[in-house]
Amino acid sequence: MAELQIRNLHVRTDDREILRGVDLTVRTGELHALLGPNGSGKSTLANTIMGHPSYEVTEGQILLDGEELNELEPHERAKLGLFLAFQYPVAVPGVSVANFLRMAINAQRDEPIKVKEFGVQLDRAVNLLDVDRAFTSRHLNDGFSGGEKKRAEILQMAMLGPQIAVLDETDSGLDVDALRTVAEGVAKLHAEQGIGALIITHYQRILDYVKPEFVHVMLDGRVVLNGGPELVQRIEREGYDPIREEVGASV
Amino acid sequence: MTRSAKKSAQVSSDTPAPRKPGASREATLNHALDGRGTPRMALSDSRALAREAYERLELPSWRRSGFWTTSLESLDLDAQQTREHEPDSARPAILADAPCAGVLVQRDASVVHVELSDELAERGVIFCSLDDAARDHQQLFERYYLRRLLIDRHKLEAASAAFWSGGAFLYVPPDLHVSEPFQIVYEISEGLTAQYAHTLAIGDRGSDIRLREYAISGETEGQSLHARQFELYLEDNARCRLAQLTDWNGGAVHDVSTSVVEVARDAYCHWLPALLGGALVHHHDEIVVAGPGGDMAFRGLFFSERDEHLDVFAVDLHETGPSGGDVHWRGAATGQSRASFEGLIKINEGAQQSHTYLQFHSMLLSREAELDAIPSVLVGADDVSASHGGTVGELDELLIFYMQSRGLSRPQAVRVIVEGFFEPLIVQLDDPHLEALIRERIGNKLHAAAEDIERYALAR
Repeated sequence: MAELQIRNLHVRTDDREILRGVDLTVRTGELHALLGPNGSGKSTLANTIMGHPSYEVTEGQILLDGEELNELEPHERAKLGLFLAFQYPVAVPGVSVANFLRMAINAQRDEPIKVKEFGVQLDRAVNLLDVDRAFTSRHLNDGFSGGEKKRAEILQMAMLGPQIAVLDETDSGLDVDALRTVAEGVAKLHAEQGIGALIITHYQRILDYVKPEFVHVMLDGRVVLNGGPELVQRIEREGYDPIREEVGASV
Repeated sequence: MTRSAKKSAQVSSDTPAPRKPGASREATLNHALDGRGTPRMALSDSRALAREAYERLELPSWRRSGFWTTSLESLDLDAQQTREHEPDSARPAILADAPCAGVLVQRDASVVHVELSDELAERGVIFCSLDDAARDHQQLFERYYLRRLLIDRHKLEAASAAFWSGGAFLYVPPDLHVSEPFQIVYEISEGLTAQYAHTLAIGDRGSDIRLREYAISGETEGQSLHARQFELYLEDNARCRLAQLTDWNGGAVHDVSTSVVEVARDAYCHWLPALLGGALVHHHDEIVVAGPGGDMAFRGLFFSERDEHLDVFAVDLHETGPSGGDVHWRGAATGQSRASFEGLIKINEGAQQSHTYLQFHSMLLSREAELDAIPSVLVGADDVSASHGGTVGELDELLIFYMQSRGLSRPQAVRVIVEGFFEPLIVQLDDPHLEALIRERIGNKLHAAAEDIERYALAR
């Protein structure tokens, strides 16, 4: 069981402070949703957790099981069990999905994975995400539709089996069918592998299929409200303005 | 950056003026061979003419618009020796496990190894040194030798035509299909060596072959010279997959070579030069679609490192239509290397219904490296399509972060990017041995340049 702890995290990029003291804890087996309007700092948090070089941590800590990650390279964080599903997955020209997955899996092991074992895992993941096996021969994200890219993200998550995954607006740009497949994939990985997940979204659509136990609201670079599923309905109903007014006094 | 044929056609009035031999310094483009060849004559006569040109000409420089010069002036020709060797029964290491229809190895000045199966010999295949072909297959030799090559454009071309020894000759008779490749290897064994090489290959009507040519050395010390002429003639309906690999392995080899491929009626050639290193490499590679229905795919890749200097001139010439062409090159540069790719599409007057496309993609991996691309299109017919395009790339930090987030280290991610950059061409070789060889060599070069690449990434 792993615990990802964000403590008083301040982050800046290009002379602008984007995160202004974020506190958040996600454990293996827990489903969290992070909601917030555009520009509130959700994606910055996701990228900073994974170690994106453009974001500078000026204060605070990112801890995994008590070990500080602040100075670790992204691949070192991945090896410790973190995963980021990108909002905009990047094309890897010339490298097939299957070959990339093999490389990524082998990067985490001393011995390369056996061909047969890899094949079994890949078949299972392919079924989970309702994609064709031929999909894995295509160059990763190269010419993929929006839905295919998001499926490929969750396929990688299924194959790599992280402790804790951050899903950065995985629901954006998806049609209803793709959204359901992706969301059900996440729910299943949570149920079967006990993955802990922080689902970042600014719609609430994905939450029709994945039911988070913990819901957090981010405004202006801070997590201003923590609660349960009832928060989702409230935001659906009222938007963020009442919350902004409520917490405004205390901020 | 694609230009239409019509717009580019304006350039075609700028016909290259006849050049004074040796006066290679000019502010314009390289010149295509443009169909020219050397009149048929006895070998001793062409050698004598070439020798005369060699005596007369200075070492060449190619200069372009003030920002690029390839100069051989630092080459000490007098220090170069021609070295003879005894026959060697062993295949060279580079062909370990490679499927071979035949093998010919020239070490320095001597052909030391020739293999051809009895079966192919019985079916009429000739695979021998060019020396032997000039003597034993005189008619064939004289019919094709230098048909599309010149011998006096510059001193080193003249030297090659005057002094070549050994050499390789391949003749494949009509309608014979050979699936395994014919392998020709030119090796330089030590520094201060002059290697003058010549390959003449003919695929007769309806034949279908694979041909590989390697120009390689171990690590050598001191300047060397490799001056080669290569000519391949594909008669009507013939097909060939041709790959040439050049890797002088960090040695101070000056490689000035010209290759020409002629594609006759309904013939097809897939040609891929892979230029993987040499102190100074100047290659002029020209493919001529000479008969209606002729078609070709001209692929090429290069990787320059350290202080290497690479100058490639690739020409796609259409003499008749209808004809097809597809030129696609990719190049990467590390270290303080300088690389120039000049690509020319030329469609002659009357070559109607020729359709061709030239694309060049580059990737710069070091702050001190330089990579230039100069595409041009000369069109003399009006019912054609000819255009060019390309990309200039650097390492994509977002892509590196993406791969790192999956557990790949930074050097691994860089390697994946660069390999992926070349992969679209490498897979087209359809030759697992050669594909693996090229991937491995590119991988080794990336490994050697890792620190430099990292510095560049951090500096941006």
